[in-house]
Amino acid sequence: MRSILAPLRKHSLMPALVLLQVALACAILCNVFFLAWQRLQPMLAPSGVDADNLILVDNLAAQGRTYTAAESVAGEEALRAVPGVRAASSGFGLPMVSIASLMVNLQGPTHAALSVNAFFGKDLVRTLGLHMVAGRDFLPSEYRPWGLGASNGPNSDWDTGVTQPIIITQTLADKLFGTAPAVGQLLHDPDAKDKSDHGYQVVGVVKHLLRNEVGLATDGRADYTVLLARNIGNTAMLSYAVRVSPAMRDIALKGVKDAIKRQFGGATAGGARARVETYNHRRDSAFKNSRAALWLLLGMVLAIVIVTLVGIMGLTGFWVQRRTRQIGIRRALGARRAHILGYFLTENLLIVSAGIVLGMVLAYAGNILLMHYYELPHLPWAYLPVGAAVMLVIGQVGVLAPAMRAAAVPPVVATRSV
Amino acid sequence: MMGYSMELAWHGLRRYPKTTALAVLTVAIGLAASMTTMALLHMLSADPLPGRSQHLYLAWFDAVQAKSQTYKSLDNDWSTYDYKRLKTADAEALLAAHKGVLQAAVADLDAQMASDQREPSNEHVLATSSDFIPMFGVALRDGRPWTAAEDAARAPVAVIDTELAQKLFGTTKAIGQVVQIKHHPFRVIGISQPYAPQPHFYGLNAWAYSGSDRESIFVPFGAAVDAGLASSSTDGCDDVTEKSKQFIAIDPIHCEWLAEWVQLDTAQDVAAYRSFLEHSAQQQENSLASYGKKPQWQLLSVQQWLTLQNVIPDNVRLNVMLAGSFLLLCMVNVAGLLAAKFMRRGAEVGIRRALGASRRAVMLHHLLEAGMVCLLGGVLAWPLTLLGLSLLRMQDQGFTDLARLDVAMFAGLFALALGVGVLVGLVPSWRVSLVQPGLQVKSA
Repeated sequence: MRSILAPLRKHSLMPALVLLQVALACAILCNVFFLAWQRLQPMLAPSGVDADNLILVDNLAAQGRTYTAAESVAGEEALRAVPGVRAASSGFGLPMVSIASLMVNLQGPTHAALSVNAFFGKDLVRTLGLHMVAGRDFLPSEYRPWGLGASNGPNSDWDTGVTQPIIITQTLADKLFGTAPAVGQLLHDPDAKDKSDHGYQVVGVVKHLLRNEVGLATDGRADYTVLLARNIGNTAMLSYAVRVSPAMRDIALKGVKDAIKRQFGGATAGGARARVETYNHRRDSAFKNSRAALWLLLGMVLAIVIVTLVGIMGLTGFWVQRRTRQIGIRRALGARRAHILGYFLTENLLIVSAGIVLGMVLAYAGNILLMHYYELPHLPWAYLPVGAAVMLVIGQVGVLAPAMRAAAVPPVVATRSV
Repeated sequence: MMGYSMELAWHGLRRYPKTTALAVLTVAIGLAASMTTMALLHMLSADPLPGRSQHLYLAWFDAVQAKSQTYKSLDNDWSTYDYKRLKTADAEALLAAHKGVLQAAVADLDAQMASDQREPSNEHVLATSSDFIPMFGVALRDGRPWTAAEDAARAPVAVIDTELAQKLFGTTKAIGQVVQIKHHPFRVIGISQPYAPQPHFYGLNAWAYSGSDRESIFVPFGAAVDAGLASSSTDGCDDVTEKSKQFIAIDPIHCEWLAEWVQLDTAQDVAAYRSFLEHSAQQQENSLASYGKKPQWQLLSVQQWLTLQNVIPDNVRLNVMLAGSFLLLCMVNVAGLLAAKFMRRGAEVGIRRALGASRRAVMLHHLLEAGMVCLLGGVLAWPLTLLGLSLLRMQDQGFTDLARLDVAMFAGLFALALGVGVLVGLVPSWRVSLVQPGLQVKSA
């Protein structure tokens, strides 16, 4: 050990530069991995819906007036009449439809309150193809009308005067009630001052349902979604979810487009065109920016790895060359090739490890700086070992070629003057 | 001595060409990454109207007869829009007071537009008042802006830009022609150059940056209301408003939809306007009290307004930080490469020192060499930056259209390259200047 540390102290510039490089690269990598994971999580989260057979319609806004409940239902019926359509629901806050979304705060008897996206619409469990793991779907008698920016008569206010049934996801069941069975439990809005609500009673649990504010679908919050027993009545804005049979997907998509055109034709506000797209298409465009950002981060990781690798190889190569004579002497004194190889690998391990320690401090500082400008949680500790492992590998790979060259130095070099 | 050091540096550059090339390439990549992200940030934070914007202020006071509409969720604060707009009567009152040098009420609307010759198309309409065109520096090619009298008479007149004129009438000589806006005839009295300051600070509710969107037609806001045009968003409505009129086709009497901009040339003007606005706000005190609100008012400069609305996307700043840290890594790397390169010629330096070269001369020579490496890196970074910017423009994110390298940023690139060169060269040059003369001669 002393034989490794002594030259490091004596000639400190080269090791210091390697150390600094490792520290910087480690700090940047930890933060880049973290940013990439923040972007990746919503993309990897299961949607819970029958993605391949789902069509979404939105951007329907009446010109200078609101749609009536009858128009909302007529739209559903027109869609159901399209060949290949299995189910259609007029809804609000549908998957991947983020033009308008609804948030509800929920609190159970024991655990902390959560802020979740709410989906409205009749028979959404069937139309979206959700997988029920406990309880039941809403009963037809439980639905109450609701609409955006339009009155739907008595009982349609947010507070319906009675406890409303609610369907939650498995994730929410676990977070809100722990191990206790969720069905039958009561939930309420912790912020009760603005709506004197009568709370919700869980009637069913679905396996997954990805929230429509996908930007918030990070850190285990992807399934923060609930279904409320509301059908769409008079409303300023309509949207539909349509489930089609797999064999007739393309024909049904065209049929749905035609049906929407026939039903709502020239009535949309400001010339806005109705958007009729498959779920997968929607998903694609919803994640477009995230994909671009991920490519950028990947490019960044590659650039960092290459630059660091080249840097370590260059510096170590030079430093090994400088010590050719010492290596020759050690070889002449009986050191084996494996000893020399091991010596340089260990030396690199020491320098890189020191760099990693500094790098972790820098990574944390960098994260705090980023949090200042950017809506980002704290860097979890788990990222630090990942960055450290990458740097150790880079270090060892970088030093391998120079170390092998050093090991190949013949003992006779010691006798020469250079 | 400078010339001689230059020569030595140039000579040194060509020895170990592989190391030199690697150093140049590393600097170039680091510089290009930084410059690409900084050029975008620079374009996005540019002054939208140089020479004018420092005299423009957004004036607002609260006159909405309803409870404050904010609703807190756990994850993020959600509230209604807050673009500091006013209801029609309040905007008109501020206009009529003439307390600014110039003043205009502004709203961004969308409407179908047609002429006798053309099919209807959707255009962005700026509903405003007569002072807008002189105040915001809209350049007129032909005709005239409308007058305050035409504002008062709610005259259906319009100023359109050359591109819309071409589209609707097939010519830019369209004075006297009639544009149909939602089937209401508007007479064209002026033709303007296309007007699209970036950011779109007077209508942030519509968009902040766009390479393609702009208002192609300006009309008096009174005439726009008469033609049935309505804003698609509001900051707040009086309690009496029907729910439907808060979402689609905003009720202009009871909902906030017009932004009031004033031109104030001197500090006294600003102070006087502040007290005027405060007075206007205080007059609402009694009516607001029943809704549990206190009088509120604000007078914001363009810069304050852009900062408040946080127009520059967060990830633009984030990318500048990431690229900056990457440049730092590249710099340490190049410092290492140069140190190795310089120390390799330790023997040579020892001879130079023995022959009488001072430490300063040795250091200068190596600093110059480092500077040259980084300047070469800068030259190589230029096309790389242009490539990076064109990659950015390919990402269709609205603001990315603006990713361009202007003269200031081009100069910035080389300033940065030189700065980086000196910083990067400092440690290796200092180290090599410490080489002892005698020792090296002996061992060589």
